[in-house]
Amino acid sequence: MLRVAAWRLAQFPLIMAVLYLITFVFVWVAPGDPFQRGEKQIDPIALEALRERFHADRWYEFLTYYPWQILRHGDFGPSLQYREWSVNDILKSALPISVTLGLFALTIALVLGVLVGTTAAVHRGGLSDTFSLAVVLIGISLPSFISAAILLAVFGGKLKWFPIGGWGSFSQMVLPGLALSLAPMAYIARLTRVSMIDVLSSDYVRTARAKGLSRSMVIWKHCLRNAFLPVLSYLGPAAATTLTGSFVVEKVFSIPGLGQHFVNSIQNRDRTLILGTVMVFALFLLTFNLLVDLSYSLIDPRVDLQAKGT
Amino acid sequence: MGRLLVIPLALIVMLTGALAWSGGGASQRVDFRFINRGDIITLDPNQMSYVQDIRMAYAMWEGLYTYDSRTYMPVPGTASGCDISADKRVYTFHLRHEARWSNGDPVTAGDFVFAWKRMLDEPGDYTYLHYYIKGAEKYVEDAAAHRPVEFKTVGVEALDPHTLRVTLNDPVTFFLDLMAFSPFLPLHAKSMEPFKEVDARTGKVTYSQHFTRPPHVVCNGPFVLKKWDFKRRLVLEKNAHYWDMAHVKSDSMEMVVCDDRLSQLMMFDSGAVDWLAEVSSDVVPELLAKGNKDLKSFVGFGTCFLTLMVKPTYLDGTPNPLVDRRLRQALAMALDRNQIVRNITRCGEAPATRFIPPEIFQSLGWRSTPGIDFDPHRAKQLLAEAGYPNGGRLPGVKYVFRSGIPLSRDLAESCARQWKQVLNLDIPLVQAEQQMIKQMLNKKDYALAASQWSGDYNDPSTFTDKYLSTSINNDAGWVNAEYDQLLKEATKEPDAQTRLRLLEKAERILNTEVPIIPIYHITSQYMYRDNLKGITPNPRLVTMFKDVEVVK
Repeated sequence: MLRVAAWRLAQFPLIMAVLYLITFVFVWVAPGDPFQRGEKQIDPIALEALRERFHADRWYEFLTYYPWQILRHGDFGPSLQYREWSVNDILKSALPISVTLGLFALTIALVLGVLVGTTAAVHRGGLSDTFSLAVVLIGISLPSFISAAILLAVFGGKLKWFPIGGWGSFSQMVLPGLALSLAPMAYIARLTRVSMIDVLSSDYVRTARAKGLSRSMVIWKHCLRNAFLPVLSYLGPAAATTLTGSFVVEKVFSIPGLGQHFVNSIQNRDRTLILGTVMVFALFLLTFNLLVDLSYSLIDPRVDLQAKGT
Repeated sequence: MGRLLVIPLALIVMLTGALAWSGGGASQRVDFRFINRGDIITLDPNQMSYVQDIRMAYAMWEGLYTYDSRTYMPVPGTASGCDISADKRVYTFHLRHEARWSNGDPVTAGDFVFAWKRMLDEPGDYTYLHYYIKGAEKYVEDAAAHRPVEFKTVGVEALDPHTLRVTLNDPVTFFLDLMAFSPFLPLHAKSMEPFKEVDARTGKVTYSQHFTRPPHVVCNGPFVLKKWDFKRRLVLEKNAHYWDMAHVKSDSMEMVVCDDRLSQLMMFDSGAVDWLAEVSSDVVPELLAKGNKDLKSFVGFGTCFLTLMVKPTYLDGTPNPLVDRRLRQALAMALDRNQIVRNITRCGEAPATRFIPPEIFQSLGWRSTPGIDFDPHRAKQLLAEAGYPNGGRLPGVKYVFRSGIPLSRDLAESCARQWKQVLNLDIPLVQAEQQMIKQMLNKKDYALAASQWSGDYNDPSTFTDKYLSTSINNDAGWVNAEYDQLLKEATKEPDAQTRLRLLEKAERILNTEVPIIPIYHITSQYMYRDNLKGITPNPRLVTMFKDVEVVK
């Protein structure tokens, strides 16, 4: 397992480098200019001076400067839009917030999702199944800008149980955490339910019951472990997206996380920041997929990562 | 079950770690809180151009002159006054001996020379305003062309630590207003020294904008920036060394960052903030209809208009029908702007036939005449004269509007509908992203697009200069010799009133030649309760934080 992990880790730099180049091409050919801001045209002399100063005049100037800064100093360079801040500053201040909020949301999603999905599968066709369907429908079909706004308006505005947005205390984390957890929760509930139904009708479950094990023992100990595998494979990409923040939820709750930068940096043509955020996202995606693959073999001893074909 | 527990357990462990990592940083007690027009882009006066940035600059720095918080006319600031030569081209400013930086250093004429020289060495959006000063434009051009430059050739000179002499090319009647404007603020050279960057190749000196971040930043205005949490908040405290500290009404303030329009309103309603410096145009009509007494709606400093590309040919060489003035006038006369402000924008805007909002320079003595108004009958005549008696399509003419903004789509559809109804013209609508549109306008690679212009300083030339044939902002590609001549005469004219007459005449040409079709004059909105004093709404959205306080 360790050898597999090491081999996968060794591939990371190559994948990231290719991704950097691909992103750079898109960023460079996109019309617009990071130094042309607002509704007014800037003096060509001023524009030229800025381009020169930020190594953004020609594509090769950009490529012969910034990637080496990253390799040598781990420095993504200055943000071209927020020039008081380097991309590293921005990532350093925004990423922890998004990760915290994302982990919180993921925990809620996982616990509630598995609970709802399992109960629904066990009482198939019953009241709790209908309830789970409702949860799934809301979670999947309600766009987050609606659910976030409703949560904020009701629990923040009307009932005043929670503060209206901002970041810094646990109470400020509850509503955005809930809003962020809805979609993954729905997927997890759905995945758990489907695979649970499958597992429940398998032979070994009948055997276990026949041998006298209690129902809940069978479900929670024996079935869930098998039923959980599809959820686990979903968890990798879900963790990567949730932990790197959500544009909508961050905007509605005024959370200074990373999600906003994915969208805003593109609108601002903030090339260095776009590349920085893409690199972070890629690193998260690669890491979590690796973690998920490794945990397969931990949960399900039948999975052998070193077997041929994996 | 045991092994499965690993996952939630791991999550909880990671969550605890993350909580510690992301840090709290709860907000502290301040005298008042507000939400600015948007988040800060930069606090470096050298590079700033956004209203929200300039607003903060006036809290942190003070120019030779500053604005009166009720009339918004220039009044002495760091300078106690100035002598103006008879030909109005030499200004000698006398700096207050008691003026201090936030670290206690005296504010000297050298600090202004330093900041203004940097404006030429590191040109920014507003460097062009320095071109009124003798030799400044040549200095910048020479530097850009890598020719040797000497600052001695520029008309800015510190005669002694408390006397600054500025020599202008022409009598600039509004120069004192510029002296209060952000591109002319002083900077503290010593505290910026660690942020100096020297280009190894060219030896060119620039300063990293990081110098504006606390605790490094040194200011000479009523407030000092104490804390700047990126995308969260800015906390400012009264500057104990400010020369007029006795008149600074609040001890501290906080700018809260919140981008979502509904959350902004909820924060205001809950009392979490005392002032919203912008109210989304999505909610203004509703608040206006309800008669919300905290909403203050007032005349803005700009106009929304359609810009027409009037060059004889398009970029690809095909002929452009909009080169015909009659056709442009017909398009303008076919639009009922009243209907647009009543049904589409609905924020109390005034329908426009002029480029310059007529009220904003009234106090200076500005008297403009209406331009081309709604006149469907005459519109049809002109269209027929231009060769389109039955309407139809105008070759190559498409209307470009901004994507993602309902208002811009509604406006486009309304114009297209009216042209169809009145003139039987079919103008196709195309949407594009803002950056794309900006590039199209710059390259003159369009025919018709919605645009907006807001002025910067208290003089009509901040509008009229846009349509000089040499202006980089002349998106219409419009060239009119008489217009250029009038503006040139105005620059040489020392008498303020005579000069205004020249500019009024120029605007009249612009309004009737129709390189643009004015649609409406913009409005701005603030929200604050009666207990917040000192925020006097004004078109330029200037805020003198010195006077702002919450009365308990």
